[in-house]
Amino acid sequence: MIQVQNITKRFDGFAALDGASLSVPAGSVYGLVGPNGAGKSTLIRCLTGVYRPEEGALSIDGQPVWENAALKSRVAAIADDWYYFPQASIRDMCRFYQGFYPGFSLERYEKLKEVFQLDEKRLLRRLSKGMQKQAAFWLTLSCMPDCLILDEPVDGLDPVMRRQVWSLILGDVAQRGVTVLVSSHNLRELEDVCDHVGILDHGKVLLERSLAQLQDNMVKLQVVFQDGGGVPEDLPVLHASRVGRIHTLIMRMNAGEAQARVASYQPLLADAVPLTLEEIFIYELGGADYAVKDMVL
Amino acid sequence: MRSKTWCFNPTLFRKNLARFWPLWGGVSLVGSLAPLSLLVILFRERFEVSGLVPLDVTASLYWTLTTVVPVLSLVYAPLCALAVWHFLYGSRSVGCFHALPITRGSLFLTNTLSGLAMMLIPYAVTGLLAGLVALCTGLLDPAGFAVTILGVLGYSLFYYGSATAVIFVTGNPFAFAALYGIFHFLALAVEWLVCLLMSSFYYGVEYLYRKVLAFLSPTVFFLENVTIDSTYTTVLENHAGEVWEHSVLSSVQLVNGWVIAVYALAGAALLACAWLLYRRRRSECAGDVVAVEWMKPVFRYGCALCAAMAGGLGLYTLFWSSFEETLVSDTVPMALCMAFAGVLGFYIASMLLAKSLRIFRSTWKGALGTVIAAAALCFLAAADPLGMETWTPDAGNISSVYLRVHSNLYGNGLVIAEVSDPAAIARILALQEAIIDEREAFCRQNGDDRSSVSLIYYGPDGEELNRRYYSLSFPHSDLQRAGGQRAPDSGGAGDGPGDSGGQHLQQPGKGQPAGRPSVHPLLLRPGWPSGAGDPGAHHPGGPDPGGGHPAGYPGGSLRQNPLPAL
Repeated sequence: MIQVQNITKRFDGFAALDGASLSVPAGSVYGLVGPNGAGKSTLIRCLTGVYRPEEGALSIDGQPVWENAALKSRVAAIADDWYYFPQASIRDMCRFYQGFYPGFSLERYEKLKEVFQLDEKRLLRRLSKGMQKQAAFWLTLSCMPDCLILDEPVDGLDPVMRRQVWSLILGDVAQRGVTVLVSSHNLRELEDVCDHVGILDHGKVLLERSLAQLQDNMVKLQVVFQDGGGVPEDLPVLHASRVGRIHTLIMRMNAGEAQARVASYQPLLADAVPLTLEEIFIYELGGADYAVKDMVL
Repeated sequence: MRSKTWCFNPTLFRKNLARFWPLWGGVSLVGSLAPLSLLVILFRERFEVSGLVPLDVTASLYWTLTTVVPVLSLVYAPLCALAVWHFLYGSRSVGCFHALPITRGSLFLTNTLSGLAMMLIPYAVTGLLAGLVALCTGLLDPAGFAVTILGVLGYSLFYYGSATAVIFVTGNPFAFAALYGIFHFLALAVEWLVCLLMSSFYYGVEYLYRKVLAFLSPTVFFLENVTIDSTYTTVLENHAGEVWEHSVLSSVQLVNGWVIAVYALAGAALLACAWLLYRRRRSECAGDVVAVEWMKPVFRYGCALCAAMAGGLGLYTLFWSSFEETLVSDTVPMALCMAFAGVLGFYIASMLLAKSLRIFRSTWKGALGTVIAAAALCFLAAADPLGMETWTPDAGNISSVYLRVHSNLYGNGLVIAEVSDPAAIARILALQEAIIDEREAFCRQNGDDRSSVSLIYYGPDGEELNRRYYSLSFPHSDLQRAGGQRAPDSGGAGDGPGDSGGQHLQQPGKGQPAGRPSVHPLLLRPGWPSGAGDPGAHHPGGPDPGGGHPAGYPGGSLRQNPLPAL
């Protein structure tokens, strides 16, 4: 559904995106993760037609995004800092979006009123940040998009509303085949909703896989070697830690392969544990020189 | 399938008008006060208006068109443009608008029409009310109204087009206000500064500023060129045996109305330029002082140049003028002042462009270039490449000359004459040439006890050339003799022709030739100064025309013959 091919975007000589490529299958929920300053928001703004990349190609459903109003009428986005008119209420913004999105559903808007329970006549600037975010979701979901692009969407929402919002989004994915691209630092939450993940760093996509493949590609082994020995040097280990006699090894291979490799050392214990997305993120970026540093201050 | 590039969006149009109704509504309210109050007065008078004709209403409309509308549009147009385009100046708002399913072409078309509507609604409201008043009183002149409407449309299109074009040059609302002012007045300001700089180096040249570039400052050009020509007819009326005479407006014409049409076309062209800028505009330039890449050096070095001239002249006046030993500016100190002021302007512009105070290291080459350019400009101006200091007009192109000779040797003696006799004009030209030939010596005399000669040459088409030569040495005995006919001491007599101060044979108005040669005998006295002979000739070492000379008299030919015979 969404194709990004080798795009580059520079700001005063600095390459915020440097040959980034990714592919979001139709009907999937794609989590775009990366450290601060990786280029996630820049990529999203390129996808929504705000920025024009210097090089590369961007397409949604096979059509270029830039200056394509017909395509953009099927794409809705919520920026990390959502904009509204200073003197507008939710109802005013509803009328505004209704005039631009041909698929805007007033019926859905009325139904979502019960979910969000906000006063639609109240000025948006008088609402809290979390309530404004709720209003953004209310209006965006009412646009009935085929493609939803979210930048840090659930920041500011309480846990109940987060679940509510994700429930609505996943309901649309299941019923209407909506494609979702979401950028977030909350990897624990993304892990529950995403089926594809892309890790962006320094303007490049480091890796891009389905969540299952990602988890298959890296394993955490808890090993106890004989005679309390250390980790053999020829074992390809991304990261190793030790608590007592238990070694925790992070290895870039699937569980079976990792266990077979360790078995040759006849350990007393070798147990494979799936990694969380957060751990995958940390250890993958540790390979890209973005790791947790031990510092003494 | 791509959507059409140009498509009017009614939602956005309505939203723009609804959001900014206080702007156009407020202006409409203010504009409607005059016709409404008139309507109330007329209603009280039962719509009886005696002594007025429709042409009077037309004259009022034309007066409003030529005097009020340009100034009002100059101020109101940028507000309308900023209202519809201010979203470009914030990263959040530009992200929202450019993510919407609307092309830039449609955004441009819709916002342009919104802004124009906001501009024209107040004029329409005021015009409709004024038309209603005229209709009720039977004073409606359809032709006059039609011309006024066209004029208002033309002004609105020009000013809104210029404001919109400037909108896309910048990404900051404060920079927009400054750049809009620069767009409308920079040309004249630069011309004035250049003339001021040049005239500071040239002896006798004080009034170089001619507003040659006024056409680049449209408001000034409109106010000076688009005028009204009213013709009155004297009507005699018999009231109870007495004949009363009064004037009745018989015709009123808008002069140079075609200028509005030309500038309206320019406004349309500016809108086209605005579209070209918007097509290429990067959303990320929100907040930048200059949003167009190739305009950044223009802004940087333009600021440096203007600062060099304005700041340089100011610094010179503050710190060096008291050290001057001549009547003209000293080149090297002026160059230093201009270089310093130019570098200051360069760095301020660089800081604004970079939005940072830390720009010194990266811009030292540009600063050096500014120093060189400012100094070169100063030396170039001082070198007088156009020969303005020594230029005299051709006698055949002069219809009359205003001559003012002032001396404070003995009181404030003053001689004023305006001549149109070719022979006298030739003598005055010779006087000027002789002064110019001795200018270096005159420049060195920077005291109070000297005389001055002011000349205004009038051409056949009303053009003027001004020169004023200070620190001249007249033989004071001649002035004493001339003082026999001197009017009471006028003290600070004015400079202009027709001024009643000092001594003069007639007080012609500007451009009015004297009925007969009326040059003061001082200037027509044969042989004065003695032995002078041909006009314009110098006779160094000739006999003293009469009497001694004040202390400090310069040497050379001036000692004997301070001025040639006329």
